[in-house]
Amino acid sequence: MSTDTAHPDTTGRTPASPPAGNRPPRSLGDGAFAALLMLPALAMLAAIVVYPLVASLVTAFFEQSLVEPGRTFVGLHNITDLLGGDFWRLLRQTLVFTVGATIAPFLVGLALALALNTRIRGRATLRGLLLIPWLVPSVVVSFLWMWIFNANYGLANGALEALGLIDAPQAWLAGPGTAMTAVIVAKTWASFPWIMVMLLAGLQTVPLELHEAAETDGAGAVQRFFAVTLPHLRGIIGIVLLLELIWNFQHFDLIYVMTGGGPAGATETFATAVYETAFQGFDLGRAGALGLLWMVLLLGMVAIYVRRSEREGQL
Amino acid sequence: MSKRSARDTCGSRAAAWIAVVVLGGFGLLPVYWMLATAFTPAQQTFRYPPSFFPTELTLDNFARLADEPALARYLLNSLVVSVITAVLSVTVSAYMGYAFSKFRFRGRRSLMYFVLSSQMFPQALLLVTLYALFSAYHLLDTYTALVLSFTTFTLPLCVWMLKGFFDTIPDTLVEAARVDGASRLRTIHSVILPLSAPGLIAAGLFAFVRGWNDFVFALTLAGREKTTLPPGLVNAFLGEATAQWAELMAASLIASLPVVVAFIALQRFLVGGITAGAIKG
Repeated sequence: MSTDTAHPDTTGRTPASPPAGNRPPRSLGDGAFAALLMLPALAMLAAIVVYPLVASLVTAFFEQSLVEPGRTFVGLHNITDLLGGDFWRLLRQTLVFTVGATIAPFLVGLALALALNTRIRGRATLRGLLLIPWLVPSVVVSFLWMWIFNANYGLANGALEALGLIDAPQAWLAGPGTAMTAVIVAKTWASFPWIMVMLLAGLQTVPLELHEAAETDGAGAVQRFFAVTLPHLRGIIGIVLLLELIWNFQHFDLIYVMTGGGPAGATETFATAVYETAFQGFDLGRAGALGLLWMVLLLGMVAIYVRRSEREGQL
Repeated sequence: MSKRSARDTCGSRAAAWIAVVVLGGFGLLPVYWMLATAFTPAQQTFRYPPSFFPTELTLDNFARLADEPALARYLLNSLVVSVITAVLSVTVSAYMGYAFSKFRFRGRRSLMYFVLSSQMFPQALLLVTLYALFSAYHLLDTYTALVLSFTTFTLPLCVWMLKGFFDTIPDTLVEAARVDGASRLRTIHSVILPLSAPGLIAAGLFAFVRGWNDFVFALTLAGREKTTLPPGLVNAFLGEATAQWAELMAASLIASLPVVVAFIALQRFLVGGITAGAIKG
C-alpha cells in the first residue's frame, strides 16, 4: 500500500512542492512569493474541495448511478422532480432541526454564561467540566442519548416517570412526534458549551462602569441585562447564531446515528437525504439536485456570515 | 473576578444558582450516566426503572472490549489517521497562513473568504465525488483517502488559526531577520516557525481532535481494514441485535478520552502561547 508515503516524517519541514528553490532571487515580487507559499494548500483545496463540490453539483443535470459507469444529460428534470415532491418536506424538517438545535443551545449557553460570570463558587471547575459534551465525538453523543432515550431501560423514561411527567415509558426515538425533539435535545447538549464559552468571553469585555452607572440610576438586574449586557454582546451573539445555523443546516452525524432519518422519514434532513440517495439509493443525479438546492440556501447564509465577519474586523 | 461584586444582588445570585443547578445538571448528568453505565455489570443495565446509582462496580465491560481485536484496529487507525492529518494540515496551512498574515497581494481578500467558507461546504455533497475519485484511484479503504478527506475541514481551520497567530508576531521581527541577510524562506523557517510553536501545536491539536471525531468520511471511504473508531463502533454495536449498552458506554469512554486529554494539553498552550515582548532585546 502506498499509505506509508504520507508518514509525518516525510512531510516535515518543506511543503510538497518547495517554492522555487531554497534561495529565491531577491527580484521575486512579494505577490509571487506569497503565491508560492500558498501553492500546496491551494492545490489541495482545489483537488479535494473545489473539484468535488463542482463535480457533485454538476451531476444534478444528469441521470447517473454510483455503481454503473456512464450518464445521460436530463437537464432540469432532477430538480423539477424534487421541487414537485420531497424538497419541501425536507426543507421543513431541516429548518425545524436547524432552528431548534440553534435556539435551544443558545438559551442554555447564555443562561450558563451569565451564571458563570458571577462570583459563584467553583465556577472555573464547572466551566471546564461543562466543555466535555462539546469535546466528545459526535457518535459518542449519539450513543449516549440513544441510551438515555432507550424505550425499555432508558434514564429519560425512568426520570420522567418518577417525576410524574409521563404515565408509561415512551419510545422517544421511534415515535414520529418525538424523534426530532429527542435528536434536538442531544444536539443541544453537544452544542451549548461552545456557545457558553464564546458568550463568556464576550461578557468579560462588558465594562463594569456601565453596569455601575446603570445601577446608580436605579436599574435592576433584568433591566441592566437588556440595557447594558445584551447590546454589548450583539456582535458576538450574531456570529454565534449564524455559525450554529450554518453548521446545523448541514448536520449529519447525530441524525444518521440516532434515527437514520426515521421513523418513516420524520427526522430526514438535506444532509441525510443526500447521503442516503447517493450511497444507499445510488442515485447520483437526484443526490446532486438535492445538493444543489441545499447549497444555494447554505451559500446565502455563508455570504451573510462572511459579510458580517468583515464588518466585525475579522478579515 | 471580583469586579462583579458590586452588582451581585440576592435575586441574581439565586437565579445564577438555579441556572447552574438545572442547566449544569443537563450538561453533566449525561456524562455521569455514561461513566456509571460503563462500570455497571452488563446484566444490571437491562432493568427498568434504571437505578441511578450503580449497586455494583465492575471492569468487565472494558475487559470484554479488550478481547475484541477489531476494536484495537479501529483505535490504531483513528490514531494514525488523526496524527497524519494534523501534521499535514499544519505543515501546508502554515505557509498559507503566513502569506495571508504578512503579505498584501491582489486577490488576498477573496482567497481568505474562499478558505473561510470552504469549511462550510456540506460534507455529504463532497463525498458524492470524493467517493468516485478515490475509487478511480483505488484509494478506498486506505489511510491516504481518510487523511485527504479529513484535510477538507482541517486545512481551512488551521489556515485561519495560524493566520491569527502570525498576526500577533510583529512585522519588525520579520524585517529584522531580513536586514540580517536571511532570505524570505529562511526567515519563515528559522525565525517565524520556531517562534510560532505554541500556535502550530494548538492548530495541530485542533486538527487532531476534528479528525478523531469525524464520522461520515470514514464511514463512507474506509472499509473493514482502515475504518476508524466512530464508524467502527456504529457498525459493531448498532446492528440488528439488541445493543450492548454497558459495553458501548465503555467503548464511548475510550473514544472520548484522547480528545479530552488533547484539549487539556491545548489549554496550556493557548494560555502561554503569545509572543508578547519577543521583539525586545
